[in-house]
Amino acid sequence: MADAIMPDRVDSPIPAKAGIGLRAEHYREVTDSLPTVGWLEVHSENYFGDGGAPLEYLERAREHYPISLHGVGLSIGSCDPLNQRHLAKLKSLIQIYEPGLVSDHLSWSSVDGSYLNDLLPLPYTEEALRHFAERVQQAQDYLGREILIENPSSYLQYTHSTIPEWDFLDEVARISGCGILLDINNIHVSATNHGYDAQQYLRAIPANKVREMHLAGFTVNRYPEGEILIDTHNAPVADEVWALYNQAVKRLGNLPTLIEWDTDLPPLPVLLNEARRADEIMEKAHALVA
Amino acid sequence: MPSLLELQRQFSEGVLRSAGSKFMQHIRPGRFAPARHFQVYRNNVFESLTNALKAVYPVTERLVGDGFFRYAAASYIPLHRPESGNLHDFGEHFAGFLSGFPPARELVYLPDVARLEWAMHESFHAGVGQPLALTTLSSIPAEEYGNLRFRLQPSARLLASSYPILRIWQVNQPDHAGSPDVNLEEGGVKLLVIRRQEVEMRTLSDGDYSLLSAIDAGSTLAQAARAAMDAQADYDLTGALASQIQLGTLAQVENEKKITGNPVL
Repeated sequence: MADAIMPDRVDSPIPAKAGIGLRAEHYREVTDSLPTVGWLEVHSENYFGDGGAPLEYLERAREHYPISLHGVGLSIGSCDPLNQRHLAKLKSLIQIYEPGLVSDHLSWSSVDGSYLNDLLPLPYTEEALRHFAERVQQAQDYLGREILIENPSSYLQYTHSTIPEWDFLDEVARISGCGILLDINNIHVSATNHGYDAQQYLRAIPANKVREMHLAGFTVNRYPEGEILIDTHNAPVADEVWALYNQAVKRLGNLPTLIEWDTDLPPLPVLLNEARRADEIMEKAHALVA
Repeated sequence: MPSLLELQRQFSEGVLRSAGSKFMQHIRPGRFAPARHFQVYRNNVFESLTNALKAVYPVTERLVGDGFFRYAAASYIPLHRPESGNLHDFGEHFAGFLSGFPPARELVYLPDVARLEWAMHESFHAGVGQPLALTTLSSIPAEEYGNLRFRLQPSARLLASSYPILRIWQVNQPDHAGSPDVNLEEGGVKLLVIRRQEVEMRTLSDGDYSLLSAIDAGSTLAQAARAAMDAQADYDLTGALASQIQLGTLAQVENEKKITGNPVL
C-alpha cells in the first residue's frame, strides 16, 4: 500500500470554512455527488481496520476534500502507557491520507488496560496538568506533528480540581505546543451543567492556539431538580450555540468549523445547510477584512 | 485527595459495578447531587457500548428483542470490558457469553447466530490478500502439490453450526418478505463468510469445510485433502480447488518459497 502512487488529490490544509463529518450513512452520496463544502472530518478509529468499504470511501473522499482526523480513543489523560497499537494505526492513517488536522480530547477513557470508550473528565489539578501535557508531547513526538486538543462536554466537577478548565487547556497548549480544538457546543453544555459563564470561558481561550471549532446539537435530560444537557451530536446546532459561535468568530477569527452530527443522521442537505450557516457567520463577521 | 490513577480506578469501577460513597466524595455537589452527575457517565458508557453491540449483532438483537438485548449487554459489559479505544474491537466474546447466559438457555441457536455476526463484522474490516491465481498453480510441478501451503483471504471466516443459522439470519433481515419461521429440524450448516464486493455467506459441503479449515490451520495440501476425503468420501478435490480459486477464497502466500517450500522442520 505504501508504494502505491497517490492519485491526484486536493491539498491537505483545512481551509477556514465550514466542514461536515463524513459518516457511513453518507459515504456513497458524498463521494458520488461531491457537495460543495470546505472539508470533511472523520473519526480516526473508524478507519483502523485493515481494509474494506470505510477505507475505500475515505480514499475517494480524500481525492476531493481536505480531511481532518478526529480521534475519540487515544485516552491521553489515562495513567496507562499511551496505547502503542492505537498510535501506530493513527500514524499509518496520517501517512496514507495526509490529514490537514489531527485531534483528540481533553479526557481519559481507560485504566489498567480496560476502556470505557467515553470522554471521561479529568480533575483539573497540577498533577493532571503535568501528566496530560507530557502525554500530548509524547503523542506529538511519535506522530511527528501537532495535534489539537478539544475541550469536552462535562457532567461533573471534582472537589479537588483547582484550575478552571479554560486555564488548564491554555496551559496544556503552552507546555506541549499543541493546538486547541474549541468545541462551542461543549462550552455551552458544560457551562450550563456547572453554572459557569460561557463568555468567560471564551474570553480566556488564547486566540493564537485555536485551529478549529466544533458545532453540534445536544439533548436535554429533565430531572425533578432541573435539566442536564447531554452532548449527543444528534440534533441541529442550538440557537444559543450559534450565538456563542458568532462571538467566537469575532474574537478568534475565521477558523475551520465542523458541523458534528453522529447519531440520528439527517439527510445530507440538512448537514450542508448547517455548514452554510457557519460559513455565512464567518463571512459576515469578517466582510470588511475580506 | 486521590491520585489521578486512584481516581480513574474508582471512576471505572463506579461506572461498571457501583460507585461507593467514598468515590462520591470526590464529586462536587453542583446543580445536582454527586450521584446524579455521575449517573450521566454511567448511562453514556452503557448506552454507547450497548449500541456498539447492537451494530455488530442486529439479528441477535432482533431474535431476543430490545429489552432482553440490553439486559444481556449490561451483563456482558462489566465482564468483558473493551480492551482498545476502537469500538470495532468490542464484542468479540459475546457469542461465548450468550452460550453461558442462563436467561438465553432456551435459545440454543443464539450463540451460533452471534458467532456468524461477529465473523461478518471481522470480514467487513479485514484486509485484502492477493488472490491465488490458477496460473501460479500451473507453474508448479505436479509432484510438489502435496507440499503446498496456502492461506485463506484475510476476510474469510469458517463456521459450522448444528442449527440452520443461515436461514435464521436470512429471515431476520429487515427486507425479508414472508414467514420468519425456521424449522430447527432443518439441521446444521457449514459456512464460508468472505468479503468480495460486500460480505457474503456461502454454504459449504462437509468436504469443502474440512479442506478450507485445514488450509486455514496451516496444513499442506496433502493433509487438507486427506481431511476433506475423511469428511466426504466422494470429494472432488480438483474441482473444489479450482472453484475456490475461482471464487477468490485462497490468497497468495506472500513468500513464494512458502508456497513451494517443504514443511519447515
